Amino acid sequence: MTHKLILQGNDAVALGAVKAGLRFFAGYPITPASEILHKLVEFPEVKVLQMEDEIASINACVGASLAGAKAMTATSGPGFSLMQEGIGLAHMVEAPLVVVNVQRVGPSTGMPTFGSQGDLLQCRYGSHGDYFSIVFYPNSVSELYRYTMEAMNAAEESLSPVILLSDGIIGHLSETAELEDVTIKERSLKPLGHGNRHFTSLTHTGSYPKATAPSAHQELIAGLAKKTADVARRYVRYEYLPVKGSHTLLIAFGAVSRAAYHFKDHFSIFRPVRIFPMIEDLKEIARRYKTVIVMEMNAGQYTLLVEALLHRPVGFIPLLGGAINLEYIKERIKKCLSGTT
Amino acid sequence: MSVRNYLRPERLPTYWCPGCGDGLVITSMAEVFEELHCDEKNTVLVSGIGCAARAPGYFTLESVHGLHGRAVPIAEGIKIVRPELNVVIISGDGDLLGIGLNHLIHASRRDTDIKVICIDNQIYGMTGGQKSPTTALGVKTLTSPEGNTDRPVDCQALIKAHNSFYARATTFHLPLLKKAIRAAMEHRGFAMVDVRSQCPVNYGRRLGYRNAYEMLMHFKQHYKPVKGVVDRLAHDEIGITSENPKSQIQNPNSA
Repeated sequence: MTHKLILQGNDAVALGAVKAGLRFFAGYPITPASEILHKLVEFPEVKVLQMEDEIASINACVGASLAGAKAMTATSGPGFSLMQEGIGLAHMVEAPLVVVNVQRVGPSTGMPTFGSQGDLLQCRYGSHGDYFSIVFYPNSVSELYRYTMEAMNAAEESLSPVILLSDGIIGHLSETAELEDVTIKERSLKPLGHGNRHFTSLTHTGSYPKATAPSAHQELIAGLAKKTADVARRYVRYEYLPVKGSHTLLIAFGAVSRAAYHFKDHFSIFRPVRIFPMIEDLKEIARRYKTVIVMEMNAGQYTLLVEALLHRPVGFIPLLGGAINLEYIKERIKKCLSGTT
Repeated sequence: MSVRNYLRPERLPTYWCPGCGDGLVITSMAEVFEELHCDEKNTVLVSGIGCAARAPGYFTLESVHGLHGRAVPIAEGIKIVRPELNVVIISGDGDLLGIGLNHLIHASRRDTDIKVICIDNQIYGMTGGQKSPTTALGVKTLTSPEGNTDRPVDCQALIKAHNSFYARATTFHLPLLKKAIRAAMEHRGFAMVDVRSQCPVNYGRRLGYRNAYEMLMHFKQHYKPVKGVVDRLAHDEIGITSENPKSQIQNPNSA
């Protein structure tokens, strides 16, 4: 069933989470993500904890998840940095949960009320060691609702922390949203109190720590990699808008992709929604274009990974300080096309 | 279940050094668990990182061995979702009173019904013997070669500030240790048992103790068990403190 209403992006995340069966939320107030916390306290079926910090929040989510509840936390850049070790823990003990990051301009306190896309590499590589988070980045209020549910589903399927990226622009955007439901995946992991399991942050085989066995670690990491890759294959989510005769592919996501739509009559557009692991189809799609240009609100984070994926140089339009200016984008596209970036 | 059934013999010998106090504490815990009919369906153990934090892995009960300093929020998440479970933390002084002190104070403020057993050996044992937040003044460690100048954390004052349950015991006074763990388990609300324990290898050795026995004898001479339940324990006393009525907590903003 679908119904339409005017909704704010952050509220849509809260509603999607409740729809997907959220039972536990722990968070710490932070601009521009606080509305998710505000909205969730309205739902009696969700146990909401306002913790002392984001470190406590992510760890409480790990505990709640292992205890059997679908769990989520929401934050912005500074809090996301504090959560990195906990995200690694959730991968290690295979606790399904969702971390929402409504990005703002960083580093440090930066520009708290301005949106940004500066946490892409932090999503992928922020915690120490090798791990493989599935990350979604929607670009509208309707999509925030839908992909919160998809993120919670992917977490349940992969028994891992899944990251839902948003930004201060779409998080605080109010627009007409179509709330379309998806099939909800139920919990497969037995909750605590059903056996003799020992969930450990050490390298382990089953319930046994193997902190000095290289082969145990190699197996563990290979297992985590395969598990998340298998689940990610069920979530190949992207938008591709080809234009006949265009030799240029614009890559954008989140708030910036909405600006990219202004150029959709002249240039083809590729918008990854499951931004990690990266969409493999992009390799094939990019082959059709002479020029590939990534526009993003950071100093070139996704560009770096697109270049690595495609094994070719790509153009880059940095949008810094929270500003998305169409004239500036036009200029930069021209420069990219004339080869003088 | 007998006491033996709470422990995993296949994991022996433990990871701990000879003479370590951790084994005495987990034995006392297992004895209390048996008395209270705790089993894998109603009791979950949680720990952070450090020597003491390895304890849950030796129990047959389900357990979570999390991050350094973060046992308390993990336990809170479990307890909020599953109030019927006994959630017991066992970790060390560096973990609970150093890196994780923030969480401990807030959990006691929230009066979350979790039990915290802190094995306090006054040293970072696992990492080689650096001063810990409970190392006494003047004590020489790897990182305080001239003697420690930082005052030790007053754990009792922090926990009692929110009128939560606090008991102190040592690894020498085992009947009292058992009594304290049992009282904590039976208390409804946040409860903390502060267990003074010995680290003969990375603490005692550098202070002239020749073995664990000498350290236990020091506990015997230094710590005086109090009779009954007292309001507050002096620094050299061990025992159980009273729970003050929660109504004593005043809202400073109330009219």
